[in-house]
Amino acid sequence: MLLSKVREALLGIRAGRVTLPYPFAPRPPEPGFRGKLEIDPDLCFGCGGCANVCPARVIELHDLDQHTRRLELYWRRCTYCGRCEEVCPERAIRLGPQFETATDAGADMVIRLDVFMGPCQRCGRCFPTKTPLDRLMTPGFRGNGKEARP
Amino acid sequence: MSTAADRAGVRQRIEALLRADGGRMRLTDRAGDFLFEPQADTLHVKVEREAVRRTAAALVADLGARFLVTVGTDRRPLAGDYGIVHLFSLDAEQLFVALDCGVDSGDARIDSITPVVPAAAWAEREFRDAVGVVPEGHPDPRRLMLADDWPEGLYPLRRDVPHDLKPPATEGVRPPMKAPPPGTSVVAVGPFFPVLEEPSCWRLFVDGERIVGCDYRGFYNHRGIEKLGDTVLTYGQIPFLAERICGICGFIHSTCYCQAVEKAAGIEVPRRGRYLRTIMLELERIHSHLLWLGIAGHIIGFDAVLMQAWRIREPVMWLCEAISGNRKTYGMNTVGGLRRDLAPEMKPRVLEVLGPVEKESLAVREAILGDTTLIARTRDVGPLPPETARALGVVGPPARASGLRIDARLDHPYAAYDEIVPHLCLQEGGDTWSRVLVRVEELLDSVRLVREALAALPDGTVLADVGEDVPADRMAISVVEAPRGEAVHYLLTGGDNRPYRWRVRAPSYPNLQAMPAMVQGQTIADVPITLGSLDPCFSCTERVEAVDVRTRTVRVYEPAELRELAQRKRGPS
Amino acid sequence: MSALARIGLCLLNAGVGLLVSPLFEGLTRKLKAALQSRIGPPVYQPYLDLLKLLGKEDLRTSRGFFDAAGPALSLGFVLLLALLAPMGGPPPLAFAGDVVALLYVATAAAAVLVLTGYASGSAYAFVGGSREIMLLLTVEPVMAVALVVGVFKARTLTVSGLLAWQAAQGPTISMAIAALAFFLALQAQAGRIPFDIAEADQELMGGPLVEQSGPRLALFRWAMWARQLVLSFVLVELFLPWPRVGVLSLDLLLALLKVAVVLALVTVVDVVNPRLRVDQALGYYLRVVFGALAGLAFAVIGM
Repeated sequence: MLLSKVREALLGIRAGRVTLPYPFAPRPPEPGFRGKLEIDPDLCFGCGGCANVCPARVIELHDLDQHTRRLELYWRRCTYCGRCEEVCPERAIRLGPQFETATDAGADMVIRLDVFMGPCQRCGRCFPTKTPLDRLMTPGFRGNGKEARP
Repeated sequence: MSTAADRAGVRQRIEALLRADGGRMRLTDRAGDFLFEPQADTLHVKVEREAVRRTAAALVADLGARFLVTVGTDRRPLAGDYGIVHLFSLDAEQLFVALDCGVDSGDARIDSITPVVPAAAWAEREFRDAVGVVPEGHPDPRRLMLADDWPEGLYPLRRDVPHDLKPPATEGVRPPMKAPPPGTSVVAVGPFFPVLEEPSCWRLFVDGERIVGCDYRGFYNHRGIEKLGDTVLTYGQIPFLAERICGICGFIHSTCYCQAVEKAAGIEVPRRGRYLRTIMLELERIHSHLLWLGIAGHIIGFDAVLMQAWRIREPVMWLCEAISGNRKTYGMNTVGGLRRDLAPEMKPRVLEVLGPVEKESLAVREAILGDTTLIARTRDVGPLPPETARALGVVGPPARASGLRIDARLDHPYAAYDEIVPHLCLQEGGDTWSRVLVRVEELLDSVRLVREALAALPDGTVLADVGEDVPADRMAISVVEAPRGEAVHYLLTGGDNRPYRWRVRAPSYPNLQAMPAMVQGQTIADVPITLGSLDPCFSCTERVEAVDVRTRTVRVYEPAELRELAQRKRGPS
Repeated sequence: MSALARIGLCLLNAGVGLLVSPLFEGLTRKLKAALQSRIGPPVYQPYLDLLKLLGKEDLRTSRGFFDAAGPALSLGFVLLLALLAPMGGPPPLAFAGDVVALLYVATAAAAVLVLTGYASGSAYAFVGGSREIMLLLTVEPVMAVALVVGVFKARTLTVSGLLAWQAAQGPTISMAIAALAFFLALQAQAGRIPFDIAEADQELMGGPLVEQSGPRLALFRWAMWARQLVLSFVLVELFLPWPRVGVLSLDLLLALLKVAVVLALVTVVDVVNPRLRVDQALGYYLRVVFGALAGLAFAVIGM
């Protein structure tokens, strides 16, 4: 009995102190970690594939007018499954490595992206412009659209 | 694997059984006889409601069938009735039996099978709550999973009830709990259970420090999973929900669900996918058993075991994070296989992590085997005799610790378990100490299984090419051995890319029903470790409800009432 | 001793009991953490805990004398115990028969906890209180027998007399057995695993302390830590008082070192054991009582 107690005490002593110093020292997650949603506004062209597959219905898409499609990502309910990332043809939406996502400001938990769609000169339907320069040269350009409004 | 000859043999025996009853029940195997076509591993028997009890009794007594769960389905849009299907498993023949009884929607009652199959107690209360079919002759017809202030007559799993219905909350409702036997007093443990820190309310009837009986009110954790499964989610989205049924055995549930869909649709998962599923399942078992070892230690005040077990477990969590992108919710399963493959550089890493896990687990086992104070707290505590375990349908390590030879990986092999064969870890003691030993042995066996699977990992894809839609009107049953026992998923496929019915039975469902038998004659001090030795997963057990949990709060005490309760001599009971 | 010296000694003892006990609690936690592969809280954490709790709202859950006076009474009894105990020198409060008083005051401190638990009206506190009483009934006799061995050998009923006799006499078999018995009883008196049965938070959500919060909880915890320290002093000074220098400060320092060793041993036993059930603990202490009686037998035959 005493021997087993000695063994149990030694188990702990031999292992040393394993407590990590986080949060006093950073601890980055493994590569490939599915963390906070990140959307690159330059790459997204508003196809809506992500909104279609999201199991938690986190992504909402609607057209503000002829030229602007608004994406809203209520990522407080995001389950980090990564289906949006899988489906996006431009790899515009990604799950980044950020895991420290606690906040007491509700406004932080919504990402709003206005995608400016330029109309085709022949049929008049929208398509996205390719480069930032092109976008600047298209009349009506308002900025990169990624504002978090309260 | 059972052969065609085995199945034919069982069919003949069932047919003989049914004929002996005057031919009023039949084995249905022709298209048109059943609404949902069963798979080759399921024998579908249609019964009249007056004969269901007899047939269930005969299945258990004469054929040695083991009760799994009962599913209540609203089939009124298809056939105008409610379908009550009792599921049994014939372990030796590796078959399932579905006892299908259609209940007329105008006269929604059926004979209860609980008097002859005690394991069906909760399942029958649940279908009464879910679809409103009354099990007549049930010894305990109280509500099981609906809240006590849920309106009478509103049955959530009926097709005409919307999934986001929120009935108004009411006040002043208490669950009807049994009265204590004469000469005993009541010790209430819960509704916030102090040790496991999960909501469950046990009322112990005590005589001094000895327990003479107990009553349970649980299901505070409903989240509407089954209802969501057949209303708003598609086949491809459900694995993510299934993964969140449980906080520790998520991969089990998503695998079990995907397997059910794959069976129903005839999708063949590539061999590499099956091997990888096996590896992830066994990794999950390893970290779940280590977690449990820590919790069990903590329950009896042995925090050193808690710290060491969780220290040993931590590298496994980091490994899973590297493989899947998250420590626990892997998100890897999808219908047809896996979404992510195992990168080649991960193989040596897995072996690197397993080495110290095995070594340290062996060291812990060595240390606790001679620890007489630990054994004094766990030997002969929470005894479960094998006959009781069998009658109540107990599964998993608690069953194996009582000597029952039940393991879903061997009884109904799935994933790669036909090639990577687990060892059946048995003990005969039937007490908490036996359960500790079974889990430690299983943990070490899982390490072996992962190593074997890695060594034999075939090349190829991990995802089958799922071209067409999942066909409608099929039935499939899938079982997976979770760390806690056998999990069962029952699926009826519907049109428009979603299931018609999805029923989940977690292993803690039958295991929790064994608690009254296990605490009989024990002291109050032993109740937490007895419950802990079942390794209960309350979130797994409680998933059938269709209402937002936030509005369904428990009663609100008036401040004066609270003060009065607190100041009464014996406190609230 | 002069009145001034006596007052000074009273202040010293009370000061050690009050101010040094959280430090030893902190050291205990650090040792426990080291054995469990953790870093653990800083050594001064118990002081911070007390400060935090003392600053919280004083929530009374029931009326009654014990509920009102319980925490203060508990700490008061423990301080009285500190005044009756030797710490480096003779105890400041000395009178004929104070060995008996020592034992009673030690029990009274525990009894106050139980009574406060009963007064709170919680079912958990009730069960915890009854367990504590059952434990007290078997642990107090162990301490009593251990002290009786000393009294028998030293032929005196005063603590200072016992201390002087033991310091002069040197180790004997009967006193060694008595010391061991007292040490085993200390494990329960200090409320440590395997005998923290009354306060088992995994089973009873804190037992008798379940309804205490804020300043009341602070005083109870302080009383528990002080009791642990003072009883260790009693063990170390009455049974193992060597070497003695004669200078109060040095003897006090030596005693503190010995107390540290004793508490370290108590902590190691705490870490490597699960909590026992109350019936198992009672069985264990009955055996210890018989062992202690063996010590008494040795004393009777002159060893």
